Amino acid sequence: MMISCRDCNLLGLALLLCLSGFTASAGADESPSFQNEVMAVLSKAGCNRGTCHGNANGKGGFRLSLRGQNPEADFQTLTHSAAQRRITALNPDDSLLLKKPLMQVPHEGGQQLTMDSVEHQILRRWIEAGTPDDPAGSASVISIRVSPMHRLVEFPLNSAQLTVNATFSDGSTRDVTALTVFESSSLHVEIDRSGLATASRPCLTTVTARYLNQQVPVRLEFIAHQPDFAFTAPPVANFIDEAVFSQLQRLKVNPTAVCDDITFLRRVCLDLTGLLPSAQQTQAFLQSTAADKRAKLIDELLASDSFNDFQALRWADLLRVEDKTLDETGVSVFHGWIRTSFAENRPLNDFCADMIEAKGSTYKVPATNFYRALRTSEERAEAAAQLFLGVRLQCAKCHNHPFDQWTQDDYYGWSNFFARIDYEIVENKRRDSNDKHEFAGEQIVKITDKGDVRNPTTGKPASLRFLGNSGDADPEAVTAGDPAPDRLQRLGEWLRSPDNERFAATQANRIWAQLFGRGLVDPVDDFRTTNPPVNPELLTLLTQEFVAHDFDVRHLMRIILNSNTYQLAGSSEEDEIAATCFAVTVPRRLTAEQALDGICSVLNVPAAFGGHPQGTKAVQLTGVRNGGHRYSKPDVGDRFLKLFGKPNRLQSCECERSGEPTLAQTFEMISGELINEMLKNPGNRIRLQLAEKTPPMEIVSQLYQAALSRPPSADEQSAIEKHMQQTADPVRSLEDIAWALLNSNEFLIRR
Amino acid sequence: MIRSLIDQATRINRRDALRIGGPGMLGLTLPALLQAEEQSGGVLLPGSGKAKSVIFLFQWGGPSHVDTFDMKPDAPEEYRSKYRTIRTSVPGMSVCEHLPETAKVMHHFGQIRTVHHTMNNHNSAGYTALTGVEPPTDDQRLRDSLDLFPAFGSVVDYLAPGSSGLPTSVAFPYTIADGSITPGQRASFLGRLHDPLFISNDPNDTNFRLPQLSLPSDVSWERLQNRRALQSIINQQVQSLDQSMTAQGLDAYYEKAASMLNSRQIRKAFDISQEPDAIRDAYGRTTYGQSCLLARRLVESGVKFVTVYFAPSIGGRSKTDGGWDTHGFDDTRMYEILPEWHFPVTDHTLPVLINDLKLRGLLDETLVMWFGEFGRTPKINKNISRDHWPKCYTALLAGGGVRGGSVYGASDRVGAFPDRDPVTTGDLAATMYHALGINPATEIRDNLNRPLPIARGKAVTELFG
Repeated sequence: MMISCRDCNLLGLALLLCLSGFTASAGADESPSFQNEVMAVLSKAGCNRGTCHGNANGKGGFRLSLRGQNPEADFQTLTHSAAQRRITALNPDDSLLLKKPLMQVPHEGGQQLTMDSVEHQILRRWIEAGTPDDPAGSASVISIRVSPMHRLVEFPLNSAQLTVNATFSDGSTRDVTALTVFESSSLHVEIDRSGLATASRPCLTTVTARYLNQQVPVRLEFIAHQPDFAFTAPPVANFIDEAVFSQLQRLKVNPTAVCDDITFLRRVCLDLTGLLPSAQQTQAFLQSTAADKRAKLIDELLASDSFNDFQALRWADLLRVEDKTLDETGVSVFHGWIRTSFAENRPLNDFCADMIEAKGSTYKVPATNFYRALRTSEERAEAAAQLFLGVRLQCAKCHNHPFDQWTQDDYYGWSNFFARIDYEIVENKRRDSNDKHEFAGEQIVKITDKGDVRNPTTGKPASLRFLGNSGDADPEAVTAGDPAPDRLQRLGEWLRSPDNERFAATQANRIWAQLFGRGLVDPVDDFRTTNPPVNPELLTLLTQEFVAHDFDVRHLMRIILNSNTYQLAGSSEEDEIAATCFAVTVPRRLTAEQALDGICSVLNVPAAFGGHPQGTKAVQLTGVRNGGHRYSKPDVGDRFLKLFGKPNRLQSCECERSGEPTLAQTFEMISGELINEMLKNPGNRIRLQLAEKTPPMEIVSQLYQAALSRPPSADEQSAIEKHMQQTADPVRSLEDIAWALLNSNEFLIRR
Repeated sequence: MIRSLIDQATRINRRDALRIGGPGMLGLTLPALLQAEEQSGGVLLPGSGKAKSVIFLFQWGGPSHVDTFDMKPDAPEEYRSKYRTIRTSVPGMSVCEHLPETAKVMHHFGQIRTVHHTMNNHNSAGYTALTGVEPPTDDQRLRDSLDLFPAFGSVVDYLAPGSSGLPTSVAFPYTIADGSITPGQRASFLGRLHDPLFISNDPNDTNFRLPQLSLPSDVSWERLQNRRALQSIINQQVQSLDQSMTAQGLDAYYEKAASMLNSRQIRKAFDISQEPDAIRDAYGRTTYGQSCLLARRLVESGVKFVTVYFAPSIGGRSKTDGGWDTHGFDDTRMYEILPEWHFPVTDHTLPVLINDLKLRGLLDETLVMWFGEFGRTPKINKNISRDHWPKCYTALLAGGGVRGGSVYGASDRVGAFPDRDPVTTGDLAATMYHALGINPATEIRDNLNRPLPIARGKAVTELFG
């Protein structure tokens, strides 16, 4: 990851030290505990946020550790650093530490506290007492419990009181609500200092309650007032519908009806193959009267070659299949291997573990290209965590992850699995000798018997650590210096094990997201306690099903596709809760490849792509020509794809693919070279059919079928006839109609 | 609703900007921007800056600071420039003898003589100068990925977009590269929506026009209207799509694109041929000269951030084109090349731009920035030229509240290191944001949702007022 720790402006190497005990609580007459109260105040008042004094450079010459990760350093800063005027022992009220947050003196951060606030009182009493450190052996916080953990609130009620109890190492417990930081994932919920969460409108939110180094997510559901609500839903087809509909019933949201045949046909073709249905496919499907015709279509598509193309495209995006580092041969063999793995229905756990365990020639053992693209231990570790386990471990490189359980020990312990990979560069005929990313020639990915990633806090080789569900490392692996036969085989075994729930859940969620455009956990590579699944029961069921069926991607897809949840219609009303909980199908723009292949099929003209034979579909492209490389010039098709969001494949993140519409795309559709050249291409559908004396209205029909899978409506028919009369020139008018179809929402949006 | 969506292409109402992303935005993540606003005490800092616009003249290749604005006439011979110094409009300040016209406007410029970073290669240094952020490694072919920081203009578009109906950020007349495209020219993780509008046509061409604003030869405005009418009838067929944010977002872009194609204001802003010949000649009939003139036109029309790249390549060996990378390779000589190409073009254009802005009353509200990715080695190399030097170099700033004639920081005797008041590229970025009234501590979120301040540094406020 290129943005490194200091960019996060966090204190480097801040470790939450195992605190050697402080009194958990303090009565009004005792001085407050520094660790348990003063530190909590610094968080609660926001002093140690990254934008304030938690910044790596501090603010106004005053620097604290980010979110209080390093209480010892903060104690030093407050009590011993040169600027002693921050604390005036003789007259506590003169202390800047009190006056600044009260805005009694100018404070860039504004007023954060009032005189009568608990926070102010704690700081004041601590200063009054002479800023004592906690006595040795004082109790430290072990855990917090938030109540309630989950609440459904129906308007007109719109608030929920949260209370937080902390348990300390001496066994004592205490209400720490006033010292807890609350953060809501929804903008529509505000939480005051006392823990009262208030929603301004119906919404779902996850509130993170944080006290010192403990954080707990709380689920709050604020729903609209509907006294006469009656739940109606399509029939339950399988466990997916059960889980989705029962959540919807609880939230008083009715799902839409099941969509019509044409919508279903287009949706499932685009989702499974990336392609629009052909006229023949459409006709056959619409004419069929079989009760199970949707299930049959699903099976046909899952068994098609195009399905393998589309899966290969998705994984090639994530596995950095691009030609500068892998070279053309590498791209070809790696893409081929990915595609074959799907064609052979290789279990997904084996597919992933194959890459983890890969060694040998990048030309002969295709999976080794996974490592060829990831040149450092850290890159490999971060990519593997993100792709396979849904963990964004990057933050833990420089400091403990601020929103998750991961520590630096995890980061370096996990990275150390990948430390002994080396490359034997058999040949490198790169054309740009200054470009260390470019490799042209075979390489051997080898495992050496030396080398470790060091843990920067200890300076010693990091203990090996799996990123397990509990965060605990396998003790054997931790103690063993170098488990036989080699680390990566061990890691591969661990990864592919049916017991590896994190892997299974991450991949089940990725499969769900492929079909719905959004994961149950979203983003799909950001699993953490503070980002829980929108429907936890459903994710558990999907995960179990996936494991029980040997990580069979087609099997899980088949179940999802046959659910009525997948087959729900869109709605003209867009409700946030309904969309979030999958009560409605939310339209989304076609991806770059879907759009371009669609355009090509409507006009019956192939697009030109660099390095691929004519007639190659965009979904079949193996590598990526992105124009960022002087030796692989993008062709007109490549430029179109890049403009519409095809990723450069330099990251291991789904997010590298962009689905957002831009003005530049619209200009491309209006006046860009690709569309206009295709419209005027002498070999396109319009001109060929006219040459064959096909009546213009028949050509219009063909264009409609190809673009929208339907004939023109009566309204459209009359508008078209009028347009044809006015234009007089059939070529021009058919070009205009084709343009309008290709620029219509119905064509550009998967719904 | 539709209205606000149309607006967002130019003038972002933040909530709508977040919503136009469609379903992907409906997740449970707190939208980054509002959070940024809440956390950093506001994106806008009223009163902190006077600038409404920025013209960033990026000097690709790396001009020699010790042969231009930080001359060291008393340095030992192996360091000393072969050029003489001349006096300027600021008492006691001198510049290179080959910049006589520029010398006359130095009272408009503030200088920072201690800009420094640690990147020695063009692409990594260029990225640093274009974003204020150093990449993790000093990589000659640093790859332009979404891991890297966005361009200044994209950050401005994201946080404080312009309201003129024109794009917030426009960049021309090239995309710069050195072997591979230099990162830092686009919106990166902020999203393509915030990419600058790129113009790769030459404003010095007789037929200069904006490719985006030109319809294909056989498509007239009327024909496009006919096509749009058909499109609109098709769009009316699917009722459930009408209300979808995705569909509305697309519709809004078609509206926007059509209105841009038909906008007199936009055509006018980009129609450099409307300038009198005298003005065009004054700026110089060069790509750079006419680009600077176009920059002035755009700022006048309300574009907030204009980036003009001096050259597409690092250059340095030619007397007729290219950037400032004058190593003296292949028997070329820096001291012969600069007075033939870089200096005349600069001296012809830069002072004219400053005076023109001043004359039109625009200088106070326009920050002009002039710097490259690094300076050049204080010691003259064996080719009687100079190599890369990021440890200390000079940035020029004018307008936008910058106190003319001021100098911040001082380099040592030979121009090798900051002697006092060192300024990082993060500080330089913070200074620019400060001038625009944007809080440099504002956080944006990268692809991993990590909060990152838009500038890692402190504004050089001493330059203002």
